[in-house]
Amino acid sequence: MATRSGDRVDLLAAGLERRPVTEVSEDAMLVDDARNGDRAAFGRLYYRYARMVHGVLLAKVPVCHVDDLVQDVFLLALRRLSTLRESGSFGAWLAAIARNLANDYHRRSVPEDQLEDDAFDNDIERGNSGNIMGAQQSQAFAVLDAVRSLPDAYREILILRLVEGMTGPEIAARTGLTHGSVRVNLHRGMQQLRAKLGPNTSNNQPGQETQ
Amino acid sequence: MDTGNNRTEDQPLAGSGDYLWDRSGEPNPEIQKLEGLLGSFRHDGLAPMFPEIVPDRRWIFFPRRMRRFPFLAAAAAVVAIAVVAFLVNAKKTVPAIVAGWDVSRVAGTPRIGPKMISGKEGTSRLGVGQILETDSESRARLQADDTGQIEVDPGTRLRLLTMGAGLKRIALDRGTIHTYIWAPAGQFVVDTPSALTVDLGCAYTLQVDDTGAGLVRTSLGWVGFKLNGREAFIPAGAACATRPKVGPGTPYFEDASAEFRAALARFDFEDTPQQRTEDLAIVLSEARKRDALTLWHLLARVEGEGQRILVYDRLREFVPPPATVTEEGILRLDQPMLDLWWNKLGFDDISVWRHWERSWSGAATPAREK
Repeated sequence: MATRSGDRVDLLAAGLERRPVTEVSEDAMLVDDARNGDRAAFGRLYYRYARMVHGVLLAKVPVCHVDDLVQDVFLLALRRLSTLRESGSFGAWLAAIARNLANDYHRRSVPEDQLEDDAFDNDIERGNSGNIMGAQQSQAFAVLDAVRSLPDAYREILILRLVEGMTGPEIAARTGLTHGSVRVNLHRGMQQLRAKLGPNTSNNQPGQETQ
Repeated sequence: MDTGNNRTEDQPLAGSGDYLWDRSGEPNPEIQKLEGLLGSFRHDGLAPMFPEIVPDRRWIFFPRRMRRFPFLAAAAAVVAIAVVAFLVNAKKTVPAIVAGWDVSRVAGTPRIGPKMISGKEGTSRLGVGQILETDSESRARLQADDTGQIEVDPGTRLRLLTMGAGLKRIALDRGTIHTYIWAPAGQFVVDTPSALTVDLGCAYTLQVDDTGAGLVRTSLGWVGFKLNGREAFIPAGAACATRPKVGPGTPYFEDASAEFRAALARFDFEDTPQQRTEDLAIVLSEARKRDALTLWHLLARVEGEGQRILVYDRLREFVPPPATVTEEGILRLDQPMLDLWWNKLGFDDISVWRHWERSWSGAATPAREK
């Protein structure tokens, strides 16, 4: 291996690539405190990870059911906290629970062969309010649908960035993915989103010029 | 910074703007508008009322309420002593909790060895050396909290080989698994009859048919595929086939043209030397900038300098090599130069793989071929 990457390899070996040590150890402390009955510690974990869980679910589940499922994810995590062996893996573990519940939601809701077809066209999300919905809300749903039609690898990360307002480093820290994976998927997802939205949809503000 | 609409999919990722990544630098109006629109769906931040947490592994011999009734406390103590005595006597017949995966039934009746998992008993355990099988109607889910989760499709047979602190290894003899792994990169490995699959922080689907041929499709992060020194790096959106005795083919993005993919499959596994030249020409002519992934791998797979220089020229058109990488070095497959060029393609840094590869040297032979 080229010597220039030697330092990087050492960092990887020390586990520093994925997340800052302080944040991992903070999570681990909060998880340990929660295991010992400290509800406030679990509350802090909630505030730290709620956006990530919300985004993971929003990538797969109709908007109107996401908030309920966020609560389900944290309640399930609370019940199973004692089974988590590596406290520092809390984020990745929580994300997996969220993905499971999202998959279970679809298994319960529709036959498997219709999963691709539901396309989140849930009438509850927008149907009855269609007449009073402002143009901006309608456009927001259209953009959200476009994001959710992207491949799995891109939709979750784009939602975490564009909906939940997390930065790339935050996404990597919360989900346990590497910075490289998040960065690549963020940019490729954005390219595909642009292609889906067309040149005028994603940036049609008069007088503004895309950089 | 340039994240404008006129960017094409094949333009390099490097330098595409810090605002999308971490909101640094000059704000991008297009992304700001998307943030404004989609921000209406953002989590509202309100926390639910969580139930009281029962502390883990805490022994409470006599709750306060019981202290008011000493006879009850004494009876409880006698019962506790009896239970302890029973457990001590029964210790020899109670198996210790073994390292492994929790297995839950999703559909049908998966089996661990001869034992059927009906779902009534809740979660079963797959221990080291045990075999999990699903028939054509069955599905199962494996979970290990410090490793990840595996969905097992019908018609699958897998074995748990190792479940150590830094090494978790299963063998997929046939069938399909969907994995999402959160263990540190390089710790989770799947043996197939034709290659070793090393997780590098990702989600992927792995299929093995009855002949031992395999296919990996990565949906998140990336995967390493290796057999006897032949290796493949498969990022999200890409796939790679593998064949017994041959090892990993050449990875490709699944949105490449049908002609590209068909020619690549023939080149990897079917062609005579003459046909390989013809199919290589098709691959090179059909390649897009994104297919630099495939072209980089082809550098080490083509035969002789004549073919390699064709691949070198085509790859150079899409992604010029770094200044320190020479044509001569690439033609003699200088590994540091190949790695430097890979790092310029816009995928993850190859040092991630090289680091973990060292810990696998000597182990990259699938179980069936040993």
